[in-house]
Amino acid sequence: MKQLKKFKIIILAVLLYAVFFILKRDIFFHAVNITGGFLKEMIQVLPPVMILSALITVWVPSSTIQRGLGKQSGFMGRILSVFIGSVSAGPIYAAFPAALVLFKKGASISNMVIILSSWAVIKVPMLMVEIKFLGLQFSLVRFLLTIPAVILIGLITEKLVHRSEIHESGEEGLTNLPNLNCGGCGYSSCDDFKQAILNEGVDINGCVVLKKG
Amino acid sequence: MTTIIMIVISIALLALSIAKSRQKSKEAVLIAKKMFLGTILEVAGVMAIVGLVLALLPPELIQKILGGSHVMMSTVYGALIGTVTIMPAFIAFPLTKSLFVSGAHLVSLAAFLTTLTMVGFATFPIESKHFGMKFTLVRNGVSFIMALVIAFFMGVIL
Repeated sequence: MKQLKKFKIIILAVLLYAVFFILKRDIFFHAVNITGGFLKEMIQVLPPVMILSALITVWVPSSTIQRGLGKQSGFMGRILSVFIGSVSAGPIYAAFPAALVLFKKGASISNMVIILSSWAVIKVPMLMVEIKFLGLQFSLVRFLLTIPAVILIGLITEKLVHRSEIHESGEEGLTNLPNLNCGGCGYSSCDDFKQAILNEGVDINGCVVLKKG
Repeated sequence: MTTIIMIVISIALLALSIAKSRQKSKEAVLIAKKMFLGTILEVAGVMAIVGLVLALLPPELIQKILGGSHVMMSTVYGALIGTVTIMPAFIAFPLTKSLFVSGAHLVSLAAFLTTLTMVGFATFPIESKHFGMKFTLVRNGVSFIMALVIAFFMGVIL
């Protein structure tokens, strides 16, 4: 059942494509074309983002992340977050795992949201393309309005969502397992590891992500 | 371009990591692999569905919706269309330009462009898998409203 859930979306996609292949072949090929472009981008962007995130997980101590991006990081933390988001390549879905790693290591909710949003919209290369098509004035005004907007989105989200609501809630005391399913503990998922802690008395320090803290 | 820089940086840092500690690097690669395998299926599925929607939703239709004479309504529509679609920039900007040329209002185009990248209906399942339902709802909701605010200010300034 759990396996099935994992494949839910991909199964749905395959079914839809099958239907269109039979009924409307021109739309099918058009869609395959567009999706091919998406997938090409994904294959280029995801691996480096994952490797950078993993390197942060392994090397950067939580205290550093907390100082730079945590609750007390203040104005510099905001600037740093906008910077991290805007220099990274790729669409927003590539930002999710990276932002989650920073969050688990102590970045505040607001800074995490700022990273996510600026990853999506504050892009200098994208601004260049926009200027080419839509003109300097329109693009620049939109760009300059977006930066404070992104910071505001971070602050509002932090007011409305509590830290504990972000990871899936688990058994008492085990809620701070990172849910990255990195496999570093030897189990294939954090859930499996959690079960092992509960049922077999395995030490929680087997979690490589927490240990780095 | 940024993608290439990022690939180069990640390889360089990985090499540095290997030079410093093989053990830790092995851990990192393992984590990266697991993260990659954990998201790739879902992301690929979502991309496939978005591709299908874009194939079904021709630019002419978007043009008709955004080009409406009622600025406020077409702004809300613009924000909504931007929310449910994902488009690479090289498609989005030329499309926006052609919309502008054919008479769509700047404000609705600004709303469209901003929600296009910042608010994700299609990526909702991926986001909520990482951060949980509530966070995803709040972040996307607030971003949607802020996109309208940005559009409003652009209308005032331009």
